[in-house]
Amino acid sequence: MKARVVEPWLLAPVERFVRESGARLTMVMTPSGQVLAQYGFTRAVDVMSAAALGAGIAASTGEIVRMLDEPDFRVLNHQSAQHGIFLGRFDSRRGPLLGLVVYGEDTSIGLVQLFFEDFVADLEEAAPAETPRGPVLAADFERDLNESLATLFR
Amino acid sequence: MSLVNFTSREITCKIVYYGPGRSGKTTNLQYIYGRVPEDRRGRMVSLATQTDRTLFFDFLPLELGSISGFTTRFQLYTVPGQVYYNATRKLVLQGADGVVFVADSQIRQLDENIESLQNLQANLLEQGIDVRTIPLVLQYNKQDLPSDLILQVADLEEQLNFRMVPAFGASAVVGKGLFETLRAISERVLRKLSEAQPA
Amino acid sequence: MNPERMYDALDRITRVRGVRGAMVVSAEDGLVVGEAVMEGVRGNAVAALAASLAARLGRAAGAAEAGAQRFVHLQAEVGAMLLMPGADGLVIVAVTDQHVNVGLVRLEMQRMVEDIA
Repeated sequence: MKARVVEPWLLAPVERFVRESGARLTMVMTPSGQVLAQYGFTRAVDVMSAAALGAGIAASTGEIVRMLDEPDFRVLNHQSAQHGIFLGRFDSRRGPLLGLVVYGEDTSIGLVQLFFEDFVADLEEAAPAETPRGPVLAADFERDLNESLATLFR
Repeated sequence: MSLVNFTSREITCKIVYYGPGRSGKTTNLQYIYGRVPEDRRGRMVSLATQTDRTLFFDFLPLELGSISGFTTRFQLYTVPGQVYYNATRKLVLQGADGVVFVADSQIRQLDENIESLQNLQANLLEQGIDVRTIPLVLQYNKQDLPSDLILQVADLEEQLNFRMVPAFGASAVVGKGLFETLRAISERVLRKLSEAQPA
Repeated sequence: MNPERMYDALDRITRVRGVRGAMVVSAEDGLVVGEAVMEGVRGNAVAALAASLAARLGRAAGAAEAGAQRFVHLQAEVGAMLLMPGADGLVIVAVTDQHVNVGLVRLEMQRMVEDIA
């Protein structure tokens, strides 16, 4: 399985992290739940649900941390019977980002945490500065939109 | 801000359904979920209380299809309407590309609608977003209720739609007006992507 | 496990000349339970990797029908890592330089295993 990324610079760090940590699922996203890179999810819509929930956890934990006047939330780990869920927040040239990792019994939270630190460093090194983007869609996108919505609400 | 993957030509946009408690935000998403073919939607996630009131958010990912050669996906979120959940509303509103304000057409709910609309404006402002620039659509829900209980669309327009944004009378339980609302917000959000974007 | 006794035992290991650090690691999650390490030893990194190594070598010993894992000595270019599984899913780890008396360290690790059991 290959990692899927929004921008090419994310690919090498994600693949290295997955290889080294033994993670089953990995996702990098913005705090608002937009997915920048993912490994292991099969359907795009599933990855969006996981991202929404991960961002929700990070947001609510961040708020509790803020109420306690503590420094920013960094890491959360949940250990289930067969899976662990790791959520880490880090700063990058692209602003704050979140990493969501699901791992199994073939690795450990210690390894995930360890390689996550390297992952954050790799991402920071690889991230290019953001450049302004031109128009994305053609001006006459309405016809496509109408057709898409018509098939959506048949 | 909407996410654009130029390599795989994909666009992901976040749309938030906002409005006072029990105005029908969750029902909007539930109806859409029920109507859309399975291969075009993900699982609907609801973080709700035991009495089915939205506690954090509802979430529905949709595959819109191909727009100008880009596979386009929408993430539909609702916020909890009750006044005391403002911290949660702010969190869900982060990074929204467009907002659907679902108003409750009942006469006795008018103040709640106004308060919620002001709250939306304040929360957007806190994130540095001007309510005049973010794509916004109004939906006057519950128009199916007896006419002596509700305000007509023209009255609601006068009371709530100061910015003259697209607005639709609706009945979420039977799906009336929901498609039009979604179409209007989609068009407005995508319109922004056909213009030059700041970094 | 009594933390005071654990730290006393870790101290005894680090008192052996050439030992740069000793730690008790949770075998399953690779996290540090207790440590006494010199500056420059990345405790959390050693713990995570040592626990992973112990798990894999334990499986290798099983596959070779050699029985339960007792002691691992990993000799590297300028130092060594020593592992000894203890009770309650713990692993004792020692990090040393190249001039260490491995027998002596092993003895202290063995004492610790008996002590914290």
